[in-house]
Amino acid sequence: MGDLIANLGLGFGTVFGLIPVDIPGLGVVPIPLNILLCFVGCLVGTLVGVLPGVGPVASIAMLLPITFKFDPTGALIMLAGIYYGAQYGGSTTAILVNIPGEATSVVTTLDGHQMARRGRAGVALGIAAIGSFFAGCVATVFIAAVGAPLTRLALIFGPAEYFSLMVMGLVFAVVLARGSILRAIAMILVGILFSTVGTDLETGQERMTFGMQFLSDGIDFAVLAMGLFGVAEILRNLDHTEVRDVVKQAIGRLLPSMQDMKDSAKPILRGTFIGGILGILPGNGAVLGPFASYTIEKKLAKDPRRFGQGAIEGVAGPESANNAGAQTSFIPLLTLGIPPNAVMALMVGAMTIHGIVPGPQVMTKNPSLFWGMIASMWVGNLMLLIINLPMIGLWVRLLKVPYRLMFPAILMFCSIGIYSINSLPTDVFFIGLFGLIGYALIKFGFEPAPLLLGFVLGKLMEENLRRALIISRGDMMTFIERPVSAVLLVIAIVMLALALLPSIRKSREEVFVDD
Amino acid sequence: MHAGTDRVPSRRGPVRGPQSLVSGLVLVALALFAIWLTSDLPQGTLRAMGPAMLPRWLAVGIGLCGIALVVVGLTRDGHPLEGFSLRGPVVVGIAILCFGLTIRGFAFGALQVPQLGLLGAGPLAIFISGFATHEARFRELAILALALTSFCMVLFGDLLNLPIPMYPQVFADLYPSGWSSDARLRATAGILVALAVIIFAATHRRRRAAEPIDVVPDEHAGTI
Repeated sequence: MGDLIANLGLGFGTVFGLIPVDIPGLGVVPIPLNILLCFVGCLVGTLVGVLPGVGPVASIAMLLPITFKFDPTGALIMLAGIYYGAQYGGSTTAILVNIPGEATSVVTTLDGHQMARRGRAGVALGIAAIGSFFAGCVATVFIAAVGAPLTRLALIFGPAEYFSLMVMGLVFAVVLARGSILRAIAMILVGILFSTVGTDLETGQERMTFGMQFLSDGIDFAVLAMGLFGVAEILRNLDHTEVRDVVKQAIGRLLPSMQDMKDSAKPILRGTFIGGILGILPGNGAVLGPFASYTIEKKLAKDPRRFGQGAIEGVAGPESANNAGAQTSFIPLLTLGIPPNAVMALMVGAMTIHGIVPGPQVMTKNPSLFWGMIASMWVGNLMLLIINLPMIGLWVRLLKVPYRLMFPAILMFCSIGIYSINSLPTDVFFIGLFGLIGYALIKFGFEPAPLLLGFVLGKLMEENLRRALIISRGDMMTFIERPVSAVLLVIAIVMLALALLPSIRKSREEVFVDD
Repeated sequence: MHAGTDRVPSRRGPVRGPQSLVSGLVLVALALFAIWLTSDLPQGTLRAMGPAMLPRWLAVGIGLCGIALVVVGLTRDGHPLEGFSLRGPVVVGIAILCFGLTIRGFAFGALQVPQLGLLGAGPLAIFISGFATHEARFRELAILALALTSFCMVLFGDLLNLPIPMYPQVFADLYPSGWSSDARLRATAGILVALAVIIFAATHRRRRAAEPIDVVPDEHAGTI
């Protein structure tokens, strides 16, 4: 307990600490840089998340290069802020225009938009913010408490365990992905295949580079992410001219009444718990939180018919679950270095670009980064509450920005951003190429998210596979003989088998039917 | 430009799920391509894996997934192929290509593209990409191109100091030689904004009468 407080103290010290910055014209001035970055991240994230056609993944991919100028701690705090901001922006669009910014806010559209149609948009936004804040507080403490022991556990992992863990993570990603399991597996394999392009680290031989020099370092992560999630998203959005059904009613008061708070208190508590637990799952467990919470609230309600007609519980529960899950999904990343979803995969990319290898060693080698990031989560949630409620009017105006003006701007940001990383025009061409590939994949019914996950884990997997086999002298049994590794693999196989069972398959389709 | 968006699932021949069939074939082709690319590399043994081992295994896995999808496409009813629009991908592709070619110049054999910097590449990319949708409007795009380029110059060049060419040397030389590079950058950004404002003001009145107003009256402002 004392450890926990000391660690959180270190974290808050990092977040609020003054950092000397060289400001042109003023000289070196100590300013609270990290807290400013957290603020800017939340603000920009919300702004981008509210804009039509830009979800959290696209926002982070687009804004990644902006963070390169700062030190790793500041950069990751800002990226985390962008993530929460974009999540919250997604809930705002779900309530006001009935368009979920992301899979996790699909459920919010059901009752949130109905509340808005009944003139209670303000209360819906208010309770979403309050629920999210509460969930964020609980999740922050939870991460701090669970993070340290899990990291210690991870330190006993050898290459074989790591490989099995990544296999399990990818299997979870397949099982929890939308759409066909076969297609998700194929995408993960393609992602890993992409990661093997370039010079082989062990032998120094070039693989699948076509003899081109810019491919010998492999495919750049930022290029792939921006192409698949920035450019391909634009192309996908251009196909459907979406009609934005902005609520015409007044937003109304934002602060929920005492009765609203009473109705929402228990759903918020339950939502936080469910979302937090599901968020830890490798694979995109956070997606399930809001669905699970909504289902439970509907089952527990005295009058389930109110759901879908603007029931406040249907907003409070899922929104809390959403935020709790969004935060606890940092746990696999921070402790094991395994990204559970596309957003976290981007975080891994950002860490790697800043020279930090994600994994259990982060906590011991960069304690201020680890705890600073955790503390910044709480600060970020508080900021969202403070920024968003007064600025709703502005967000509503942004909702009306037509997409025909949005996408050239996104394209411009992506192009400048990718060029600024390596100053290579070929990188710019490649985001175009991957954009076209991503568009084709979407048209063929493939999801790009598993591909990115496979790509991020690919290099690590190959490295650990090789090491494990060298240690075992080429004996594949090592993955089964080592108990931890065997348990992880068994879990993976059981999950996959369960997902393929006809009855579960049916309910899985029902869960994702709204997407 | 939309081709076959409303196509009824065709029941010609044995194909029952065209999307699965085609996507399966694409995967098989990708797998064969990867196997061909790694064919000259040593596979190694499990004890000392060679560079080709993992890519080859992955390619086999992808190929198997592809074959499974082909089988699904032949045996089970599935989605029809989705309609492709050509306008979006082609126009956006050209816009990105133009940006990459002009940002710092490009030499490719006989093809020599001069360096235009952000000043040239930015508006070019925005303006071209805007036409990816048929809703594109000339005036709007012109204003957006100027204003956004100016914003990006200040954000990326001045505030974040990222290494991006801002304008051709010829343009920089137009300023008095005593000016610092920051001053030139800010002046350029200012000129772009001024141009945007001029276009906006000059065409504002005429347009307004001609077009229906699509701004919803402001009744949404939130109150606490």
